[in-house]
Amino acid sequence: MDERRRHRILMVSDFFYPNFGGVENHIYYLSQCLLKLGHKVVVMTHAYGKRSGIRYMTGGLKVYYVPWRPFIMQNTLPTFYLTLPIIRNIIVRERITVVHGHQAFSTLCHEALMHARTMGYKVVFTDHSLYGFADVGSIHMNKVLQFTLADVDQAICVSHTSKENTVLRSGILPEKVFVIPNAVDTAMFTPAPNRLSCDEIVIVVISRLVYRKGADLLVEVIPEVCRLFSNVRFIVGGDGPKRVRLEEMREKYSLQDRVDMLGAVPHAQVRSVLISGHIFLNSSLTEAFCIAILEAASCGLLTVSTRVGGVPEVLPDDMIVLAEPAPGDMVWAIRKAISMLPSIDPHVMHLRMKSLYSWHDVAKRTEIVYDHALQSSEKNLLQHLPRYLKCGTWAGKLFCLVMIVNFLLLHLLELWQPVESIEEVPDMLLVQHQDEEIEHDFSEARKKS
Amino acid sequence: MQRGSFSHKNYGYSHHDQKGPSQAIDVHDIFVKKSKTRVILSYVGIFVFLANACYSLLVKEELSTSSFWSIFVGVLFAKCLQYKPVKKESVVIMPTFGVQLETHFWSGRVIHRFVPIGKILRPVLNECVTPVTCYWSLALMLRGEENLLLIFQELQPPVKMLVPVWKALCAATNGKEISSS
Repeated sequence: MDERRRHRILMVSDFFYPNFGGVENHIYYLSQCLLKLGHKVVVMTHAYGKRSGIRYMTGGLKVYYVPWRPFIMQNTLPTFYLTLPIIRNIIVRERITVVHGHQAFSTLCHEALMHARTMGYKVVFTDHSLYGFADVGSIHMNKVLQFTLADVDQAICVSHTSKENTVLRSGILPEKVFVIPNAVDTAMFTPAPNRLSCDEIVIVVISRLVYRKGADLLVEVIPEVCRLFSNVRFIVGGDGPKRVRLEEMREKYSLQDRVDMLGAVPHAQVRSVLISGHIFLNSSLTEAFCIAILEAASCGLLTVSTRVGGVPEVLPDDMIVLAEPAPGDMVWAIRKAISMLPSIDPHVMHLRMKSLYSWHDVAKRTEIVYDHALQSSEKNLLQHLPRYLKCGTWAGKLFCLVMIVNFLLLHLLELWQPVESIEEVPDMLLVQHQDEEIEHDFSEARKKS
Repeated sequence: MQRGSFSHKNYGYSHHDQKGPSQAIDVHDIFVKKSKTRVILSYVGIFVFLANACYSLLVKEELSTSSFWSIFVGVLFAKCLQYKPVKKESVVIMPTFGVQLETHFWSGRVIHRFVPIGKILRPVLNECVTPVTCYWSLALMLRGEENLLLIFQELQPPVKMLVPVWKALCAATNGKEISSS
């Protein structure tokens, strides 16, 4: 790959390994596929307990666990300007060309994008969730998002519904937003080798048992389905504040032999739980994309889900039955799914998923976004300030002030620690004779400086 | 015999051979360049502290919290401006025998630490991350010990000075492995 097209990407988010979740998996898989395409990828996140410093993951993926303490819900303490030195240091030493932030709820992401923009680097932002407009938390979050996206080069959303939501919340131009759906690792989620018998139908639910994921709906739906169909069993995996309600429901209707509660299921064991069932039930009240349904479909399960957010865009109509988020409608959908079961072949479903979704495809599309970002105009920060004024009467002026202070602090920092004094890191090549290669890289780096 | 030397900002590096009983001994020095600015600044710091202390003790009739506080701040100010007491740090590599780490101070004091060659598993170049910056350090992995041993305990030299020392240490430890196998 010629040097011109090779990107050096810094992925920033508060959410990364050793946490498991949609955003974490997205960053990891996307990084691996971009590395395969020949780009350089570095990930920056906060330290997780004792896991602090630099780590290398598969494929030479370098991860900076910066020793900033998380303060609430895995987010770094928002200090505005205190993260400027370390972010500047990492961007200069790794010779980064594009900074890619993930998740609107991550404070580290917003700060990194702000500092990268002040330094004049190209920035891309990916939004993974849907948010509301009415409650106090959402209003503040949307204002912060408006600030970040006022001067971003490109944005990526995981579904068309998510794009609409992001554009309305932040006021970014729709032309700047690309839609790149998530994907699933079909090599990991394969169906059971032998088809399960349809005498007893098993419905699997794996999700965090919280209000947002529709745990209250489950409490209504499960007893009704157990009453109507005597051959149906439920397996519920996951933990959360609503688990108590599900346990109470089990006691009340004496469903101990028909509803298994597994508790929190480690990500590595999700597949083994999925292949023990015929139908996957998703009762989320809001969902930008929902990777869980992809994982279930890849394992050959028929999905029943609520028609919310970006869910209708995920699977073809013959692989999913949609219902409104109301108990009666969901019971009807489960009835329809049970009748569809004999015509479902898990292996055919898996092969279709393999052709529909792949992380390599996501990486190629993301590469196009980076190419677009690098082509955008090279104006300096002062020429971009009017964009912040559009954010609101008072907010616009405040945002401009924040950026000007950041600009001044950056220049002070450049006096204290000039760019020339930051030593560039040679690229780690994964070859057999590692010592000779590293010595070669270091001597090359010495000759350049 | 001088093998090489170069300097970078605050630090200077020199590499020379010495004649040992059976083989040549490799010596790598990293020394702190004496900077007039830092010397002047440290005198300024001490002067401010002394002036502060004298003012509090002689002019004011009694010692109150504010005078203790100003003395404390004066001490901190003087401490911050003091340059490091380290003059140079050396690595003496004696092939097949061991490695000696030395720290020389301006006062003349020297701290030695000897590591036998058999105890060294591998020398490593580490990238360290702090909340505000990243830097390189050179350390030895020792057999049977959990912690790494930093070669340069007091100084933080740039990576281009660490690389030749690391290469020499690798050669010394690899040479020992080849001879013992």
